[in-house]
Amino acid sequence: MTGHRLTLRGGEAGAGRRLADFVGVLAGAGGLDSRRSYWLRLAVDEITTNIGQHGYRGLGGLVEIEGAVDEERVWVRITDEAPPFDPHSHDPGPRLANGVAHEGEGGLGLYLALNGLDRLDHSYVDGRNVNTLVMLRRAGEVRETDGGTDGSDDRVGGR
Amino acid sequence: MSFTTKVHSDDGVVTIRLTGELDSRSAPSLNEVIVEATAGTVRRLVLLAEDLTYMSSAGLRCLVFAHQKLGRGVDIVLVGATPEVAETISLTGFDRSLVMQDPVER
Repeated sequence: MTGHRLTLRGGEAGAGRRLADFVGVLAGAGGLDSRRSYWLRLAVDEITTNIGQHGYRGLGGLVEIEGAVDEERVWVRITDEAPPFDPHSHDPGPRLANGVAHEGEGGLGLYLALNGLDRLDHSYVDGRNVNTLVMLRRAGEVRETDGGTDGSDDRVGGR
Repeated sequence: MSFTTKVHSDDGVVTIRLTGELDSRSAPSLNEVIVEATAGTVRRLVLLAEDLTYMSSAGLRCLVFAHQKLGRGVDIVLVGATPEVAETISLTGFDRSLVMQDPVER
């Protein structure tokens, strides 16, 4: 398994380039194609942006991001200390189907994240939201070079 | 992660070339460009998106903002969007409010 970790402190959308690079490394290690790599990055961006803007109300707070590749999936776990929030509870899909997007309805980012991923699991444990974003590895995306943990830890300071 | 715009206006047709990554940090600047570029009479807004490599929901809201500002009588044409950007737009149904075109020869 290949694992990586990124910690954002105080950032709202936070360190966009680092997030993009973080996901890019994971997606590359997992053999995801460019489309699925893009959607994983978009989902990580949307979830972290939502945490910063709504969870922490723009005031900043801890966001821990870790991810890894295993035999069946590429996953990214995003942990924050904002009030409990399950992204599934704010899915605007039904409203979008009625063209509400034209009215600037909120929740677009969560909608994109939920629809771009293969799975998003949420739990609230010990005062923390834990969102696990998953892209399953398809045939052809699993390579013989998988294996080993590089344990890299890329920590980002506050703004 | 940069985002730049280049604006051209001719006889009511406003063209904005979008280059780079449009996310929550760069979206406010595009809204400002849209406000400034469409201050006069606008018949059509053309967004050249061949070099737009990334667009989050914040970018999508810029398109919604432009649509609301210009009203239904003004076409918004998005030219040369990458498959991922086009998919982002169509997933939310906003493609029904835009004209999506293939890239033009440069």
